[in-house]
Amino acid sequence: MLSIQKGVRVFRGLPFYPVLQNRVKYTFCSIVLSVLGSAFEVVSKRAPEFNDEISTWEDGRRFAIGILSRGPYITLEKRGDAIRFLGKGLLSPEISMFFKNLDAAIPVFLGLKGSFQVFAENGMIVDGNLSHTMEVNRVANIVNAYLFPGIMLKNVLKRTPRFNLLQLTVKARVYIELMPAFLWHAARN
Amino acid sequence: MIPSYYQHFCPVKILSGNKAVSNIPFEMNAMGCKKAMIVTDKGVIDAGLINIVKEAFADSDRQIGYIFDETPPDSSNRMVNKLAKLFEKLSCDCFVAVGGGSALDTAKGANIVVSEGTDDILKLQGNEIIKKDLKPMIAVPTTSGTGSEVTKVAVIYNEEKNLKMSFVSDKLYPRIAVLDPRMTMTVPSKLTAATGMDALTHAIEAYTCIQKNPIDDIFARAAIELVRKYLVRATENGSDDEARLGMANASLFAGIAFSNSMVGMVHSLAHAAGGVCHLPHGIANAIFLPYGLEYNIAKVPQSIAEISGMLGGSIDYMEPEEQASVTVSMVKNLLKKLNRISGLPIRLKDAGVAEDKLPAIAKAAINDGSLVFNPVEMDYEEALSVLKRAY
Repeated sequence: MLSIQKGVRVFRGLPFYPVLQNRVKYTFCSIVLSVLGSAFEVVSKRAPEFNDEISTWEDGRRFAIGILSRGPYITLEKRGDAIRFLGKGLLSPEISMFFKNLDAAIPVFLGLKGSFQVFAENGMIVDGNLSHTMEVNRVANIVNAYLFPGIMLKNVLKRTPRFNLLQLTVKARVYIELMPAFLWHAARN
Repeated sequence: MIPSYYQHFCPVKILSGNKAVSNIPFEMNAMGCKKAMIVTDKGVIDAGLINIVKEAFADSDRQIGYIFDETPPDSSNRMVNKLAKLFEKLSCDCFVAVGGGSALDTAKGANIVVSEGTDDILKLQGNEIIKKDLKPMIAVPTTSGTGSEVTKVAVIYNEEKNLKMSFVSDKLYPRIAVLDPRMTMTVPSKLTAATGMDALTHAIEAYTCIQKNPIDDIFARAAIELVRKYLVRATENGSDDEARLGMANASLFAGIAFSNSMVGMVHSLAHAAGGVCHLPHGIANAIFLPYGLEYNIAKVPQSIAEISGMLGGSIDYMEPEEQASVTVSMVKNLLKKLNRISGLPIRLKDAGVAEDKLPAIAKAAINDGSLVFNPVEMDYEEALSVLKRAY
């Protein structure tokens, strides 16, 4: 056991370790953001409460989610009665929600913490109209409710939603459709 | 309990006490400023309070560049942009804001426009967006409630969209806050009660919302205890200068607390009610506070329970939920007392809000940024239900 700990200490002391660690974190966050972008698309097509929420949004409203200061970022847009994942990067968003660093984002992406908690811990900033940001926040909560397994939702959301049979069916469809959507976007980007 | 992570920042120099306003020119000199843009409103002029500031400048080599007294009751984007243009035209180098929250927020807003070199405040809405250092600002509050003299927040009314918009940045802290009991002595009884309840709401929400931290808890506790000691006294007898200074300090402590710990659903509802039907902020907070506490009891009973002791109640070794209910009763009793003394409305109906406006208020409330920090989620139906109870 001691020799393992010693080995880890030596590994962490290597000059390339910080860069390697950051590369791994960046790649993980980049993949999760792509999954999230695809999940926005899929959930927006399937969940009625999502459609209710975005029904008042003007067409073409763009928002971005990402991590400062070098990314990754994703940009999404309301088009018709659904959300389109436009791809990676900041593509002229009207509203942006940024984690201050990779370490602030990772617990959220792992489902260990809600974005509200990171916001309360000064780990996030927003740029743009605050009331629109609140609307984005609500739809992000809906996406999280469909994306994360029930057991993790108590970490991610302030209030765990109770899904009825129809919503559970939607959740199953989201899981089925998410992987093809993610692969399609991955191929496109 | 220590949160897993927190931040605290308050870079404001505080001048508190009798004749504190007289020190403004000296402080301007220390900051290297020569010409002040004084931002105030007609009420401050009519009450003669601006003369106290003018007297302070009379024996000094610092100048008053202009006295801008057009601040509306709700600081607006149009007025902020106008003030910024004037500031640049007259080559002023600092702001001295004398008034309630609106005057202070108007000065903060204009300061953003001037310092960022933009032409419209609305281009910089958001949190921590402001990048450039702002011009020095001295805040002289004439009401004891907003705490704006020590906050990093400016609330500006968007006239086109009928919405109150928040600007949040560490750059927005004034350099100096001046608490002089002479400046609040003329505040009428009802306004004293409303602004005092505003301060109490700041402190209570800072103490109970999810961004609370041990440093701000100290300020929030001190503020609640000062409100308990001085609010009724200041409302009953406006010329009680000890009570006035006590309430000015309560407001400032609460301001420091909520500027870091933020506020929750009571403020979401109050901002929305202010935006939709121009309900004064202090009155709105006073009305919603007990309902907000009741709404959050299930999630944060311990924090709410602790407040009963700060409000002067006894700790009877009850369960946190029961003790928290005592806190709610004490707040309701305080409101009834203030209503009796000053006529402070304690229901929306009495404050002149039309019942058919409640859905619009609920809709605006769930889009208010303060809601992020509330311990419990609130959707449209729940907001409407709280509003109906408060009606």
